[in-house]
Amino acid sequence: MNVALAILWKDLVSEWRSRDRVVAMLIFSILMAVVFHFALPDQDPEALRALTPGLLWTAYLFAALLGLNRSFALELENDALGGLALAPGNRGWIFLGKAAANWVLISIVQVLTAGVFAVFYRVDLLPGLTGLASVVGLGTLGICAAGTLLAAMAVRTGFREVLLPVLLLPALFPILAGAVQGSMAAVAGRPVPFESLQLLFVIDGVYLIVAFLGFDYVLDE
Amino acid sequence: MNSPQLKLRGVRKRYASVTALRGVDITLAPGGSLAILGPNGAGKSTLLRVMAGLAHPTAGRIEFAGGKHDRGQVGYLGHATLLYPELTARENLIFAGRLYGVNSPQARADQLLAEEGLGEVAERRVGGFSRGMAQRLSIARARVHSPKLLLLDEPFTGLDEPAAQRLTERLTTLSAEGHGLVLTTHEISRAARLARSAVILVDGTVQESIDSDAMSEAELRAAYARALEAAP
Amino acid sequence: MKPGNETAPNPEADIPSPLEARMSRWRRPLGIVLGLLTIGYAWSVVSAPIDHTQGVIQKILYVHPPLAYGAYLGFVITGFAGMVFLGRGREDLDRLAIASAEVGVIFCTLMLVTGPIWARGTWGVWWSWDARLTVTLLLWFVYLAYLLLRGFGGRNPRTARFAAIYGVLGLVLIPLNYYVIEIFGSRSMHPENLKQGSLGDGMGLPFLLGNLALAGAFFYLLLLRWEVESQRAREDDQGSEARVGGPRAPKD
Repeated sequence: MNVALAILWKDLVSEWRSRDRVVAMLIFSILMAVVFHFALPDQDPEALRALTPGLLWTAYLFAALLGLNRSFALELENDALGGLALAPGNRGWIFLGKAAANWVLISIVQVLTAGVFAVFYRVDLLPGLTGLASVVGLGTLGICAAGTLLAAMAVRTGFREVLLPVLLLPALFPILAGAVQGSMAAVAGRPVPFESLQLLFVIDGVYLIVAFLGFDYVLDE
Repeated sequence: MNSPQLKLRGVRKRYASVTALRGVDITLAPGGSLAILGPNGAGKSTLLRVMAGLAHPTAGRIEFAGGKHDRGQVGYLGHATLLYPELTARENLIFAGRLYGVNSPQARADQLLAEEGLGEVAERRVGGFSRGMAQRLSIARARVHSPKLLLLDEPFTGLDEPAAQRLTERLTTLSAEGHGLVLTTHEISRAARLARSAVILVDGTVQESIDSDAMSEAELRAAYARALEAAP
Repeated sequence: MKPGNETAPNPEADIPSPLEARMSRWRRPLGIVLGLLTIGYAWSVVSAPIDHTQGVIQKILYVHPPLAYGAYLGFVITGFAGMVFLGRGREDLDRLAIASAEVGVIFCTLMLVTGPIWARGTWGVWWSWDARLTVTLLLWFVYLAYLLLRGFGGRNPRTARFAAIYGVLGLVLIPLNYYVIEIFGSRSMHPENLKQGSLGDGMGLPFLLGNLALAGAFFYLLLLRWEVESQRAREDDQGSEARVGGPRAPKD
């Protein structure tokens, strides 16, 4: 547990000093918002508003890929990952620390991105904010659980950045399905369907367990 | 406080296309010190990584005092510094201390910084450190949890003569206190001074080993020459 | 495979392992049975009656569902074999996992090809986001990624471990995906199950033979691929014994 907290602290301090991951993810997300404007020209504002949750999640997904890839690129310098692997005890805690840091950083970007989408597409997110926040929080937890595990693998193969999307996206479709349904309800001012939250809970749980147990094998040499 | 007995039996390590270790047997007595010598690519670093618990042997066993390996009892210094350039020297040590569950990491960090003569640069980020400073910090990192067994891969790399001298003295003290010590080095004279036993590794096999309380430099040189000659 | 445990895999272990040797003895007899089955299968498909409503395209029935069984079987074997490899260091099961993933992907691909042809003939569209179709497509991506990971990572113990973990992830994704579809999925165009007698007269025999023949083909290909993999491993082993060297430790 202490190991996880130490890593969380270390990642947040490093990011605070450089701010490169958050800034890169954020710029990318805003660019996505602009891309959607050109990809869906001449839309009726009402129709576009209905599409916004889906667009938002598309941006979230790709921004998260960007951030997750960097998360372990940093650990490769000076064999710092080896330094983590030396720590006694269950290496699952190392995973949890990295995943928690990723979750915090990606969440920050998501809040800002949501604001940008709200302005660009004239959607009022405030009424359904709690519902939206819980769906986004849970969905992102699942993304970070699977993403942290797979990024640790991808970064140590010869193909690094290329491999992560191919590995991760197939594992994220169930999350995307639940999260988009839940977000659409929240944005439309309806209560978030219980099934969405339940689904996200189950997936988060399963991914966290698999990754916690699997991380030992990832760090072994 | 003697270090636990370290025992390797038939340790093999195969990477993708090379076999780095092919059946290594080593026993390090409690509080013992061992120098691992050998030409480049002999498998010295792999052997140390196996001892540290970083590399998992493809076959064979590694035991601590007859039981399971415990990463918490080992301090490891590798070729890479294991340090984060974004963090300061002090933060790096505090972080390492927390990884090992050290009781008061801040106090321990300050103590080690003082010992390594890095007190003045404690609040500087490691990204700007010279090789020698990083190496000293890296040695401090390896000792952050006061491990009973120290594994040092080429510890003198990048150190100037005074620093190397200080390190030699510190290691001698630690060894006298009962700490176990395993180091790889190219400098036979230093190896003879620091270690009471030695193995010479060629092509992933122990070719020669010396285990006497009074290992002399000449004896070590002779063994080294024999090992190279005997190797195919 | 924590450092220091006693179950470290033994490189001296024979390649092929006892299990592999035992299994490969089944390949030839299976091949003969498969040959005979295929002849009967082909004959029965040709002589089966043509469906009144769907026409000749309905005969895809005799290949499409059996392909699906093979695909799922392949993925499940990959997942479980990977788990045992991780837990016990059984390298022969790692080789089985590779073989099984490849054969599974072949079956899955053929299923995804025959499906749209049938769909075009009966539903009038090449592709529909039908529940089962979507799930299978997602799984196809998972195992394609598995093979890419294998290919990119190279043939080494670490890649094998990564792939095994990914295979386990794929295994848990099968029920998860079905769970998603159950909650949000569109109505399925697939029949929920084939009840006794839901096939028309004369369609039962070719369907049965199709299942048997494709199951036979699945296991034949699996054994063949497993043998090839074990052959390669033996060559690798001999090659690596001849080479020496340290780790590429820091770059890893």
